[in-house]
Amino acid sequence: MKGERISSLVARRAFLRKIGGAAAAAGAVAATGIPGVMRKAAAKSEPAATQESFPTPDYDWTKHRWAFGVDATKCIGCLRCVEACKRENHVPLDAHHFNTWVERYVYLEGENRARVDSQADPVNIAASGSQGEYRFANRYQDAHVEKAFFVPKLCNQCTYPPCVQVCPTGATYKGKDGVVLIDQSYCIGCRYCVHACPYGARWFNEARGVTQKCYWCYHRITKGMQPACVEVCPVGARIFGDRNDKQSPISLFIHNNRVQVLKPETGNEPNVFYVGIDKEVR
Amino acid sequence: MPKHIVRLLMLIGGALALGLAAKWYFTDPSFYRYGFYRADSVAEIAAQGPAFKTARYCESCHAERLAQWSAANHKTVTCETCHGAAQDHPQKKAKLPIPADAVKLCTLCHEAIAGRPRAQPQVVVAQHAGAQQCVACHNPHAPKLAGVVAKVSGDVAAGGKKHAASCASCHGANAISPNDTWPNLAGQNAAYLVRILAAYKSGAQTDVMMSPMAKTLSDAEIQDLAAYYAGLSCKAPPGAPAAGDAAAGKLLAKNCAGCHGETGVTRNAAWPHIAGQKSVYLANTLKAFRAGLRKDPMMAGVARGLSDADIANLAAFYAAQSCGPATETRKTQ
Repeated sequence: MKGERISSLVARRAFLRKIGGAAAAAGAVAATGIPGVMRKAAAKSEPAATQESFPTPDYDWTKHRWAFGVDATKCIGCLRCVEACKRENHVPLDAHHFNTWVERYVYLEGENRARVDSQADPVNIAASGSQGEYRFANRYQDAHVEKAFFVPKLCNQCTYPPCVQVCPTGATYKGKDGVVLIDQSYCIGCRYCVHACPYGARWFNEARGVTQKCYWCYHRITKGMQPACVEVCPVGARIFGDRNDKQSPISLFIHNNRVQVLKPETGNEPNVFYVGIDKEVR
Repeated sequence: MPKHIVRLLMLIGGALALGLAAKWYFTDPSFYRYGFYRADSVAEIAAQGPAFKTARYCESCHAERLAQWSAANHKTVTCETCHGAAQDHPQKKAKLPIPADAVKLCTLCHEAIAGRPRAQPQVVVAQHAGAQQCVACHNPHAPKLAGVVAKVSGDVAAGGKKHAASCASCHGANAISPNDTWPNLAGQNAAYLVRILAAYKSGAQTDVMMSPMAKTLSDAEIQDLAAYYAGLSCKAPPGAPAAGDAAAGKLLAKNCAGCHGETGVTRNAAWPHIAGQKSVYLANTLKAFRAGLRKDPMMAGVARGLSDADIANLAAFYAAQSCGPATETRKTQ
């Protein structure tokens, strides 16, 4: 019995000695990398406020509060927005990955619930001819349609975004101008955020191992341009602007219309405002 | 404190210090600057280049096209909506696509399907223009056709007098032509007659007989004549049997129906009725469009692909149609 106890004591001492050795070795490695550490220290001690406007010299994100409007009474379902978004943001040209998409709600006579399809529906892919082109098939031409309308959808850039809350690495965050961004070099591809989003706005890029989503074409709006989908919309169904500017298209849109948001009960406070949708749209 | 506890605490302290040092070393300098994220990533995202360059970018080279487009009813449809992202054009990509299949592109917005708002102009594709490409009639930069309808405010009685004095010898006392080569004028759309007479007068359109006649007409006389002819009955005695095959012409006529109506009775006052028109005149006119002697952007495109036999068949078909309903539609206008 005693012999056993001594041997376990010896083993523990040996283990502790090994750990101490490892710590010393790590210290030595750190010491040999001192120039690197010094550079790091210099970078970290740099005052953060040297740049007056962030993130670019021409754009200060504290001066903007972006918002998006969708007028479903104008949307014609031409899907130019979906195609433009894919080209602008290098989204894979298949039927499963979309930053923005358009849904069609069709109420047939005698039916209580809407039939919903999007450009990703197999019937619509067949009508367009390929997965890289988008078209709504004329599939209800022989049916008795009571009511039908199109609803464009995209990331709501929520005021309290659940996707940001669940990100373990700080790869997604809400900027000061209201846009929820993704740092693709910090995304580890865990997809918590994809599940956390109540709107299905996020998708996983299998080829690159990162999550992507609509970011209101942040690279465009910071240069004074409109998001690509707003730019190409032929009927003005998509409205974008700065709520800090009372004369901007979005401020006037919100002022002049009775707007609503999707799933207000979640408490996320979305920043995409809809006109002309009914209760089936969520 | 027992020695082994002190050692353990030192070990834990050392591990903690090492961990904190590692965290300090590996954390990006801009992390935590604005929150739990890397602030530099904002600038990185903002630095990406845009693919869609907006119409203002296109204007720097295509100002003429842009002027036409921005004055017409497609002005809400930007260049890149149809031609795609400008991106590297013209540096790397010398030409942006001009959509080859206009029907496929135009119907994305203009096919009548459930859900499209009523204000959006829509067509039932199968009934609109047959296999014809949209651009055969519509200029994609200024697609509206109705803009060319001329105003008619002539005096019918004055027109009748002028007709008897100057025109009746060729076009017939009742404006029904005595031969198959000259056109009937009775019952024709007044706006079309105004447009065509004005074109003869200005020289935009020429004809050995008509050009000198039209040059003597004043604008008011053109208005009077048009009003007079539009009010006459188009009923005409049947002409000589036409050379072509009317049944074959009927199949071809589907391509014309979008503008001229199924039987040659048009709904748009800017275009002529051709039902019951003289067959040789119709054939000659189509050949003139094909050869470019008569200039019209729409008809030039349509007539280009027609053979002599096609033209004869079409002429035979339309010559055999009744011009009757034209009187009714005119009354409702």
